[in-house]
Amino acid sequence: MPQQLSEYRRIALIGGVYSNWLALEAALADARARDVEAVFCLGDMGGFGPHPDRVFPLLREHGVLALQGNYDESLASGRADCGCGYTDPRDNHYAAVSYRYTFEKTSREHKAWLGTLPLHRRLKLGPHRVLMCHGSPRVINEFLWESGTPDGLLRHLLDRAEADVLLCTHTGIKWRRALADARHAVNVGVIGRPENDGRPNVWYTVLTAGPDLEVEFVPVHYDHETLAREMEREGLPPEFAETIRTGWWTTCLENLPARERARGKY
Amino acid sequence: MRPFATVLPTNSPVTAERAPTAPFVGLSALWIQITGTWCNLECRHCINASGPRAPWLKPLDAETIRRAIAEAEEAGVKEIYFTGGEPFLHGEILPLLDLALRAAPTTVLTNGTLIGPEQADALAAMAARAAYSLEIRVSLDDTDREKNDRIRGEGAWSKALEAVRLLRARGLLPIVTATEITRGEHPAGTGMYQRFRDFLHREGIERPRVKIMPVFALGRLPANGEPPLTEEDLEGFDRSVLQCADGRVVAAGGVYACPILAGLGGARLSTGSLAESFKAAPLYHPACVTCRKTGMTCRNS
Repeated sequence: MPQQLSEYRRIALIGGVYSNWLALEAALADARARDVEAVFCLGDMGGFGPHPDRVFPLLREHGVLALQGNYDESLASGRADCGCGYTDPRDNHYAAVSYRYTFEKTSREHKAWLGTLPLHRRLKLGPHRVLMCHGSPRVINEFLWESGTPDGLLRHLLDRAEADVLLCTHTGIKWRRALADARHAVNVGVIGRPENDGRPNVWYTVLTAGPDLEVEFVPVHYDHETLAREMEREGLPPEFAETIRTGWWTTCLENLPARERARGKY
Repeated sequence: MRPFATVLPTNSPVTAERAPTAPFVGLSALWIQITGTWCNLECRHCINASGPRAPWLKPLDAETIRRAIAEAEEAGVKEIYFTGGEPFLHGEILPLLDLALRAAPTTVLTNGTLIGPEQADALAAMAARAAYSLEIRVSLDDTDREKNDRIRGEGAWSKALEAVRLLRARGLLPIVTATEITRGEHPAGTGMYQRFRDFLHREGIERPRVKIMPVFALGRLPANGEPPLTEEDLEGFDRSVLQCADGRVVAAGGVYACPILAGLGGARLSTGSLAESFKAAPLYHPACVTCRKTGMTCRNS
């Protein structure tokens, strides 16, 4: 029997939070003002930023409906690393510093909660059948970059999921694609760190039902200087704070395809 | 200096029929062994003993490649890779790369020696108009000219580096790909990634990209005597992470399980269509032990 799906008209999608509780606060306030019926978070609450436990009360207070990301899965199951799958020792060094810090500073209760999150969510947005996931519908830590994700793959994933709209995050850079058959894929971006474009703001996404799907990427300007200082006070690598201040990625660059890498500074 | 061996790759004595298998979970990477084992270099560690004389695995014709790309696109492929041999020896490499880029992000693995200004211009124009990323992997086994050329042949270091410079000058970011073949000749301490990155920075290559691969004891290198995998070796191991679980190679004679074993009878899964090869792959070869142990992939990441 077909599953009865919740129906919405307008929703907000928040990608990886990476402990950026200040950007989360700003994004949630912005979304409320836009008359959204629900806010979803596509996973990866921790990592990179300071004070991971500050994120959870905000998610709870605002009734955010969350998915599990690879970082959440790692924290919940006590894995030794974040599951990003780097091979370059430099990337692995920074990933390990970040993961160790986040693991130590996330309470047992919050780790347990991360373990309860679903890997996918389905809903209807007007006539559109929506599937949400963290990386891809098939693998939690698969990177779906704009220049690395062919239409044929999106059609294949949507067919298998019996969906019209695929929503994901994980890469850290937003994009959208309208397929020839009126189906869509949207990488909703992340609010945890800027998207390697030399600007310190981050992004979330508002989707509105209509005959066609309306996709709005919303820039979030927040007190990034305070976040960068908190990161420094917590002893996180200066390269992380530099990213927050400048908008350029300094680490974990290994998985970027040529086109996305060429847009960055490093 | 050890003379170049001329031993052709052979199948393992363990038959593919009795070997443990990796499941097929869906086509993510299509490899096209466009020039077979035809290459203008004759590297001492080449996994498929490629070289300039009488390649034991023949180049592919353009029609076979076009069919494979169409079939792979239909199957939802995520990435396409061109390899050989040296792909730039193929007369139709540029139009075929262009065609592949219409279906999926595409990577070409090259020794860089045939990339001059004209080829670099064509590749840059192609990358600029493509919907997806064009990746160029240039092989260089050592940052030191003498150490590199001892493995790859006289002049290979300079030509590869020149190709990287030409591509970089046109806004492309080639991935310098090295094996660990000369690792033992460097003092322990600074890792290979860092050594290559520092070297490329010194050569004026900004945003250097590096991929390191393990050495496989096959092709022109002698077998290391390692026994093939058994079911016991694979207990508790997720076989779906092996590249033969979601990649296939089109090469002369059919479709094979992985780029390391392309052309070998034991790794052949189809003599016809790509779809026919969508089944479990036998982990019959000692090279499968290296994949199991290192978690390596021939893909970009």
